[in-house]
Amino acid sequence: MSALAPGLLGYTFRWSIVPEVMGELAHGVRITLELSGLSVVFALALGLLVALARGSRLAPLRIAAYVYIQLFRALSLYIYVLWIYFGIAAAVGVNLSPLEAGVIALTFLNSAYMAEIYRSALGAVDRGQHEAAFSLGFSRPRAFATVILPQAIRVAVPSLVNQFVDIVKDSSIVAIVGTSDLMGVTTQLVGYYRAPFELYTVLAGFYLSIVLLISAAAAVLERRLQRHLR
Amino acid sequence: MIGYNANWNPVFQHWHEFLLGAWLDVWVTLISFVLACLLGVAVALLRLSGLRLLAWPAFAYVQLVRGVPLLVFLYWVYFGLAIVAGLAFSGVEAAIVALTLTGSAYTAEIFRAAVSSVDRGHPEAATALGFTRRATFVHVVFPQALRIALPPLGNTLVGLLKGATLISAIGVSDMVFQAQQINLSYFTPFEPFTAVAVLLVALVAVVSLLLTGLERALRLP
Repeated sequence: MSALAPGLLGYTFRWSIVPEVMGELAHGVRITLELSGLSVVFALALGLLVALARGSRLAPLRIAAYVYIQLFRALSLYIYVLWIYFGIAAAVGVNLSPLEAGVIALTFLNSAYMAEIYRSALGAVDRGQHEAAFSLGFSRPRAFATVILPQAIRVAVPSLVNQFVDIVKDSSIVAIVGTSDLMGVTTQLVGYYRAPFELYTVLAGFYLSIVLLISAAAAVLERRLQRHLR
Repeated sequence: MIGYNANWNPVFQHWHEFLLGAWLDVWVTLISFVLACLLGVAVALLRLSGLRLLAWPAFAYVQLVRGVPLLVFLYWVYFGLAIVAGLAFSGVEAAIVALTLTGSAYTAEIFRAAVSSVDRGHPEAATALGFTRRATFVHVVFPQALRIALPPLGNTLVGLLKGATLISAIGVSDMVFQAQQINLSYFTPFEPFTAVAVLLVALVAVVSLLLTGLERALRLP
């Protein structure tokens, strides 16, 4: 180990190991993005279904969606992923990979939050838009798909992006069941190099960078979606 | 279920440990929440100070802390900071530090938004009545801001409670830790993890009910 620098209270920092581990961390970034990317896509789709059920005219469907949302919003990802990876896997007799368990847990948990975002966005679309679509002879599904939903999604984008950021951050918890995402890779590296401060600081920097990049991309997207208003 | 014989006996035999573990989660959450509120008010005041030298570091702090996952924070404090600073944190102490710092970034934003949303006319009226700047804040602005901040603060409290369930990852014997122990001793993963899921949902429901009651009690007539 070169470049030793004396630190606080006699601690010697070993920042020189950081360049050595960049390859592994880059692999970890890929897994983290895969994990959170898949989860966000599935959660967006499942969340829309739940939101539609929540706004349905059928009472049983509405109540089921309400219970679903309340239940998943009360659970922590940690407990949920342990429950799926160890509990459900044993009970049903399937063998899930840690990554699969992570995608399932992140998808279901976040679909509940996504459903609430969709619901408030759909509610924010002006009543007149429905009425105009119907008076033009649009069927209900067609009015929803071509008139209401596109406007709702524009309203929902900032909240959906926040949710995506939360998914990326929460995906670190999935490492508990043994994925080699950023978190998992770093924990293994800490075991090998025994430099927890340096490696976890770098890890925090990686997550922060991903989050800031997503926020920056979202700001561009939001500006594009507002173009027609200028 | 397919070939799985559910056995709830271990869970019922150890209900006492489960409840003690749950209590540990609640206790850590409450302490962290109170500290996060105090720290959050301080950070919010820095951001609202109007002095760029104070406001900018406070802004950077909030962005930094909100961009880092809680689990990373927990490991950073427990494994990293402890070695560097030469402090031997216990698991509970590390958990309280991590939860407080994470929580404070959220409460700071909540307090800032709440203080900003108090009608401008109120501090102006207080100033016209001869209140000092400090008295205006303490007696006029802050009490109103607190009421506005209550619902989002409740969300932060629930978020911290869910975050507190992570502490078994650094070896604190909370309710999740108990579930893991039972899984290891009896090879029955489904029942203990279901039990902690039910416990957490129940805890969140109780906290939500209390918060709704508090909001109703503090609502303006």
